Amino acid sequence: MRNMGVAVAVVLLCWAGLAAEKFIVGSDIAWPPFEWVSAKGDYLGFDLDVMRMIAVLEGYEIEIQAIAFDSIIPAVIAGQIDIGASGFTITAERAQVVDFSSPYWVSDQMVLVRADSGLNIITALMPGKKVGAQRGTTGAFWVEDNLIAQGVAVELVLYETYPEAIMDLLAGRIHAVIQDQAPSEQAVRQYPGQLLIAGIIKTYEEFGFLVAKGDPKKILPRIERGMQKLRETGAWDNLVSAYFGNPLEVIEAAWEACISILTVERDPVRYAACLAAKVQELRK
Amino acid sequence: MTLVFRWAWLPRLTQGLALTLELTALSMALGAVLGVMLALARVYAKGPLLPFYGLASAYVHFFRGTPLLVQLMALYYGLPSLGIKLHPFTAGLLALTLNTAAYQAEYFRGAIQSVKSGQMLAARALGLTRLQAIRYVILPQALRLAIPPWSNELVYMLKGSAVVYLVGVLDLMGQAKTIAAREFRNFEVYIVVALFYLALVFVFTVVLRWVERRTHIPGLALPGRA
Repeated sequence: MRNMGVAVAVVLLCWAGLAAEKFIVGSDIAWPPFEWVSAKGDYLGFDLDVMRMIAVLEGYEIEIQAIAFDSIIPAVIAGQIDIGASGFTITAERAQVVDFSSPYWVSDQMVLVRADSGLNIITALMPGKKVGAQRGTTGAFWVEDNLIAQGVAVELVLYETYPEAIMDLLAGRIHAVIQDQAPSEQAVRQYPGQLLIAGIIKTYEEFGFLVAKGDPKKILPRIERGMQKLRETGAWDNLVSAYFGNPLEVIEAAWEACISILTVERDPVRYAACLAAKVQELRK
Repeated sequence: MTLVFRWAWLPRLTQGLALTLELTALSMALGAVLGVMLALARVYAKGPLLPFYGLASAYVHFFRGTPLLVQLMALYYGLPSLGIKLHPFTAGLLALTLNTAAYQAEYFRGAIQSVKSGQMLAARALGLTRLQAIRYVILPQALRLAIPPWSNELVYMLKGSAVVYLVGVLDLMGQAKTIAAREFRNFEVYIVVALFYLALVFVFTVVLRWVERRTHIPGLALPGRA
């Protein structure tokens, strides 16, 4: 009888293992430091690590899928992916079609120009200037609503990905790029002496993770609980200190060294501490 | 699920449509000029002109053997490293033209070769030079024979031109993507855009069939046609 009980337990455990819930997380993985593909081909970034850590804390699996930014919300609506984690600003327009988590980040928009262009935030956004932005982002919407719709005839050039906009700015085909603060600063860090932050547009945007309208899979409460645990344990602050204000190569090396603590030992708190410490150590 | 269509989309889609038409018309016209030259080189370059045969063949093989998208990306994002910065529209037009020229070259070659070889002999016997024979005897017939495959290529390029949205051209596809990114009415926007393309294809097909009938020469019937 006892053997029988063990057998049943084993079978149940296996079944539970097989049937582990799995959510598909969609992200536009070309937007460091929130999400990017490392030199070795891993998906890194603040958003993605938060998703991984919450998944461990809340006991579900995730699969990260790279998709174009402007396709994420349609894919969530269509049910092809479960969670959108890609630095999404919570806007009224978006909130009509998807549900957002509580805000996890606050950002303003920044205007990037070439260092040798001599443009400032006023001259870079004057009529006739070519302003690059990623399609479907709040930066692009800002240009449409606050410049073009107001009669300031800048030429808005839209890109599929953020790095393409930066490439075109460096190539001199556009005059400025408008994008959120952290990725803008990251771009300047990546091209020192070539790019310059011409100015900040105080938009005070709050980022949220998003799921299908009505949250049919009841994911949001688990994300909220997970975020709270991360904040209470200090893991959140460690993650922030590791991911923001550091060169990508340093973060990649630290991630490489620590990630097994999360994936194998399944300990988010120690993982975040490891990551923060390693980044500090490598920067010296 | 409720479908929502907005009249406000039309001005932007119409702008996109104009760009799509412009790109298609220009690339098809330029591609035809280049294509005829390539086809002539592939058929008639002999003796001292043989290098032209080699060049034309290499061109056709290269541009038919690589994806249009790869060609576009290379032109737009690759050339700046050589100091050549093309405007999105120019890059798109160039990629479409170079690509369609290779395909059109093959259509024209087939048409030229389907003009019976006796005609060249007869033309030469009447005292025409080789060049005159090509200009006044072969090409007038070959170009007519090329109309059906050429209209096929036109329809293909009209739809294929949609790839230019990837380098920031606000063609029909680019405008649709931009509207969809803002309003999340992807299904509806793309239905409208599909209808736009469909209508264009219909118009082109009818016009070209008319041209084919108008230029038809009795006795030079296409197989399967009365």
